[in-house]
Amino acid sequence: MRLHSLALRDFRGVKDRIVRFRALGTTVVVGDNEVGKSSLVEAFGLIFDLPDDSKSTRIRDIQPVGQDVGPEVTVELSLAGRELTYSKRWLKNRSTELTIAEPDGRRQSWTGREAHNEAERLFHENVDPVLWQTLMVSQGQSLVLPTPADAEPLITAVTAESGTPVDGASMPLVTAVEHEFLRYWTPRGKPTGDFARSAKAVAAAELGFKQALQAMEEVQSDIRRAERLNLDLADVTARLTEHLAGVEALRERKQATDEILLRRDSVRSRAETARARLENHTRTRLERERLLDEVERFTKAHTELAARRADAELVAKTAAETVQAAEAALAEVVELKDLRRTDVQTAERRVSDLMDRAELDRLVGQQTELIDVRARIAAAWTILDRIKVDDALVAALEDARAAVVEARAALAAGVPEVSVRRLGSEPVELSGTGLEGNVPAELGFDESTEVLVSGELLVGVPGQVEVTVRAGGDAAALRSRVDDAVRREKDLLKKAGVKDVAAARELLRKADTATAELNEARRTEKSLTAGGDPGERIAVLTARLGTDEEAEDAGGKEAAVEGVPGQMSLFEEFASPHDTLFDDFDVPEPEPDDLSSAQRVLEEARSGLADAERLLTDAEFAAAQARKAADEDRSEAQNARARSELAGERLAAAVEALEAARAVLDDEAVAAAETEATAEVEAVLEELTAVQEQADEAGADQVAGELTHALAVATRLQGERDNLRDALRTTEGRLEQSGRDGLATRRDVAELELAAVRTEHDSLLRRAEAARRVHETLSRHRAEAQTKYSEPLQSRIEALGRSVYGPSFRVWLDDDLAVAERELDGVRLPVEALSTGAQEQMAIITRLAISHLVSTGEGSVPVIFDDALGWSDKARLRDMGALLGRAGDHGQVIILTCMPDRYEYVPKATFIKLDG
Amino acid sequence: MDESITFLHSSDWQLGMMRRFLGPDGQARWGQARLDAVARIGEVAERTGAAFVVVTGDVFEHNQVERQTILRACEALKRIPVPVVLLPGNHDALEPGSLWTSSQWLAHAPDHVTVLTETTPFQIVPGVELVGAPWRSRRPLSDPAAPGYADLTADPKTTRILLAHGQLTSLSGGMSDVPTIDQAALEAAVADGRLQYVGLGDRHSTTRVTDRIWFSGTQEVTSPEEDAPGNVLKVVIGAGEIDVEPIRVGAWHMVDHRVELFDEESITALEDWFAELPDKERTYVRLAGDGSLSLPLLARLDTIIDAQGEVFASVERWAKFWTVRPAPDAADLESLQLSGPARAAMEELRQALAGGDESAGAALSLMHRLARDAG
Repeated sequence: MRLHSLALRDFRGVKDRIVRFRALGTTVVVGDNEVGKSSLVEAFGLIFDLPDDSKSTRIRDIQPVGQDVGPEVTVELSLAGRELTYSKRWLKNRSTELTIAEPDGRRQSWTGREAHNEAERLFHENVDPVLWQTLMVSQGQSLVLPTPADAEPLITAVTAESGTPVDGASMPLVTAVEHEFLRYWTPRGKPTGDFARSAKAVAAAELGFKQALQAMEEVQSDIRRAERLNLDLADVTARLTEHLAGVEALRERKQATDEILLRRDSVRSRAETARARLENHTRTRLERERLLDEVERFTKAHTELAARRADAELVAKTAAETVQAAEAALAEVVELKDLRRTDVQTAERRVSDLMDRAELDRLVGQQTELIDVRARIAAAWTILDRIKVDDALVAALEDARAAVVEARAALAAGVPEVSVRRLGSEPVELSGTGLEGNVPAELGFDESTEVLVSGELLVGVPGQVEVTVRAGGDAAALRSRVDDAVRREKDLLKKAGVKDVAAARELLRKADTATAELNEARRTEKSLTAGGDPGERIAVLTARLGTDEEAEDAGGKEAAVEGVPGQMSLFEEFASPHDTLFDDFDVPEPEPDDLSSAQRVLEEARSGLADAERLLTDAEFAAAQARKAADEDRSEAQNARARSELAGERLAAAVEALEAARAVLDDEAVAAAETEATAEVEAVLEELTAVQEQADEAGADQVAGELTHALAVATRLQGERDNLRDALRTTEGRLEQSGRDGLATRRDVAELELAAVRTEHDSLLRRAEAARRVHETLSRHRAEAQTKYSEPLQSRIEALGRSVYGPSFRVWLDDDLAVAERELDGVRLPVEALSTGAQEQMAIITRLAISHLVSTGEGSVPVIFDDALGWSDKARLRDMGALLGRAGDHGQVIILTCMPDRYEYVPKATFIKLDG
Repeated sequence: MDESITFLHSSDWQLGMMRRFLGPDGQARWGQARLDAVARIGEVAERTGAAFVVVTGDVFEHNQVERQTILRACEALKRIPVPVVLLPGNHDALEPGSLWTSSQWLAHAPDHVTVLTETTPFQIVPGVELVGAPWRSRRPLSDPAAPGYADLTADPKTTRILLAHGQLTSLSGGMSDVPTIDQAALEAAVADGRLQYVGLGDRHSTTRVTDRIWFSGTQEVTSPEEDAPGNVLKVVIGAGEIDVEPIRVGAWHMVDHRVELFDEESITALEDWFAELPDKERTYVRLAGDGSLSLPLLARLDTIIDAQGEVFASVERWAKFWTVRPAPDAADLESLQLSGPARAAMEELRQALAGGDESAGAALSLMHRLARDAG
């Protein structure tokens, strides 16, 4: 079908319009919103759908609002080789006209309902509604991907090109196979439903059977064990029975030999008694020998120890004497040392006294000088206390003097000097203020005076004249300066207590002299009192010297040193060379009177003391040695005495024991008893040997041993038998329990159940495997057919798409020949996952591919896009434009848009502008 | 031995036995049938005036059967109005843990029932001695019957009946893995008058060895292989004479059936065979089949077997001997009017089957059925 023109009159907002389309190629109808673009599509649908007398609301909707007019549509198109002109007006002046020009040029016309029917018939016969709906994209539907599987022209084209007819007749089978497959398997191929449950049931039954089988195996094991135990028990019981018979025989033999053994036991008993008696006598003899031996040994020991005791006591006595001598010598030396210490003390005291006396003399002289110096200090203070002048005051007086002179000189130079002389008799009276000089109140005659007037001078002659002289300028200030200077000088003189500066200077000189005297006296006083107040020390020394003299009187009465007796062997060694020392005591020297002599005596006394101390050390050492030796000797003597006494006691005891033993049995009787007992033992042993020979001949001992052994074996066998019985009872107990539990039945039931579920599962498994096999086989063949069938459309979509997206563009179609997936640059995505723009482009590409595929057949229809490409960017618009242009090479493409810019890249497109 | 003596001989009750091919429901009914057969022995005893009943071994399936089995067995034994003598066999040997010495048995065993636990002769009625050779282990070391009569000497005044259990050397074909019973020795004992009858157990089919040596067979069938199961022997011993009569007490059947299946007629023949069998609810059928069938016929066969399985106690394909193959022909496929991938898939499966891929057969059958139903 080709659409040539469409004319609208009184159709919605369109008053009268005709649009002509290119029969082959792309027509772009451009118009603003509401200008009626979509009305064109609507009009085409209505003219074929509704007769002119239709009361459909669709018709009423297209009548212009408020106008009582009949909407009219005229369409010119080619259909199945015919050219049709078809007009229809609804509502007002209804009419339908159809004119058909056959290919051979014949023309036919219809009107009214006939025209409608004929047009409808022709349209439905030659235009596949699915294809028509697929390729006409209404406004807002540009994103919808076409599903063109049922479009007959497409099926025809695909079948013709692929050689694969569509297999719609098999669909019920496909559904049935799918259903059968899903009875047993999940879509992912896992067992499900009864099949999965039966597999689980088999697993559970297998486990149950395995457990039951295991329980029965344990029963079988117990049975075998019990059988073995039974056999072992029978064996042991038989052996025990046999053995007990042997035991009985042994018992009988033993009874026969028991008499010999009894006799042997009797002789043995007597032999034991005789042997005990002999042992007793032998013991008595040995005891007697021991006593004799002890008396002898103790006697000898006692004698030896007594001799040792005497020696030791002698040595100890000698040692004690030596100690006494040493201690006597030590006492002498101690006394000598005390004498020497007394000498030293006496000499020291003498030296001290002489030194104190010298000091006392010096202090008395010092005290006299101190009294003199203090008198001089008092005299100097007396002078100084009277004088109030010092260097500063004198300097101030001198400055004050100079200031007075200086002020007066300035006054004299700065004020009038008035000379007044009385020439007459008339009294001349002088008065005034600020006058300097001799200003008598009244001048005698010819008396003159010179007055410096710093204030006002009245010179009057009463009744005659009064002259007033007034000082001008700085006279008052000069006067005041002189007054101040004079007043300050007077104050200072008064303070100094002098009449003038010269007197002050004189007093100052006297004060300096007194001060020098005072200072010198003070230094002397200080040096004299440096070691303290001489008076105090004089008192101390005086008191001490008085005491010493008393002490000296007492010291002369000390006892004389006595001679020291001692151990001569040591004492004489050091005593002899010092005899002179002792001699010194006999004749004391008189005390010297001078200090140097006294000091020499002291040195000698100290030397004597040192010698005495050395002697004492030696004497102490000798005495200690002697004491130690004496202690040792005394200890030795005590030990010797103790041992000797002990030996004496032992000896006495031994003698006593011996005598007591002899009192019971004398020595000869002891020897005789032993000899008699020995003979008795020998006789009994001989008898025992004879009896033993009899027992040996009868084998009595072996029989008893054999019987003992046999009884032990019997006990062991009985133990074995009892153990086997116990084990058997235990095993039989378990088996009894197994019987009660019906384990065999349980096993059989478990096996039965397993067989049942296994049978069912095997049956289900066979069916499931068959269903899977059929499903897999059929699916594979269908996929192959699908691939082959869809290939023509797929290849066209890919060819068109690659012009937009490049060579990596691929698509896969589903059973409805709709694009299911797209691959670009190796990335494969379901179309739902693509961007909106890409989805719209895919929808357009698919339609153009369908159009291309059906373009050669009779069923081709125009591709109509009402407002598309709203989602594409500039670059894609260029590529899509080129694509739309190429699509026009094979068929009719009609584009309705209010955005002509989107299609500016469509080559060779015809643009038709609709005005409002 | 002036008067004849009548008694019943049975064996191999194997109470507590299970048969997996029967399924839970069939098993329950069959198990009860085996007890019912014991009760019927009591009826036979009453009817025939039997003086006693001997059971020569394998009264129970196992020594460790559940308590319910023992109690029900005791109840069934009470239905026998004459003394009953039981012999331990290989299944219920007098081994350690034996059912016969268990407190469960001892507590519930009816008074008129005696278990032969020794080989010493047991006088059951005046002038009649039973000598038994109970199994003391499942693995006897020698002729299990010999201990029963080894020390006997002929006694003209006494009728001796040997109760023994085990396979005869002559019948086992040398395949037995346990010692067998020396038939010649038995016959010699019978011949020299030591024994007047030998009642044997272990063989489930009623079998006459000689006039005086018999296997009674099981009271109720246990396997399709058994020739003549389900009987009790009525034995009448008179002066120098003996009469042994098998009397049926069993109610069940276990049948093997071999079929050749290759066309519709053979299928129909099988249907007819099923239809003619009696006691269907008490019958187990084990089918051995060979041949090849078109897919529709194969589907029909499946339907038939499934349906009969509901009617019979159980119908099984004998896996070892079931070699019926689908043989789809061109007509099968054409009749389905498949095209495109479906036809290609079915063709692939057909070729796989032809190439020996057995699993393709089931797939092909399934696809055929689905296509037929979908069409």
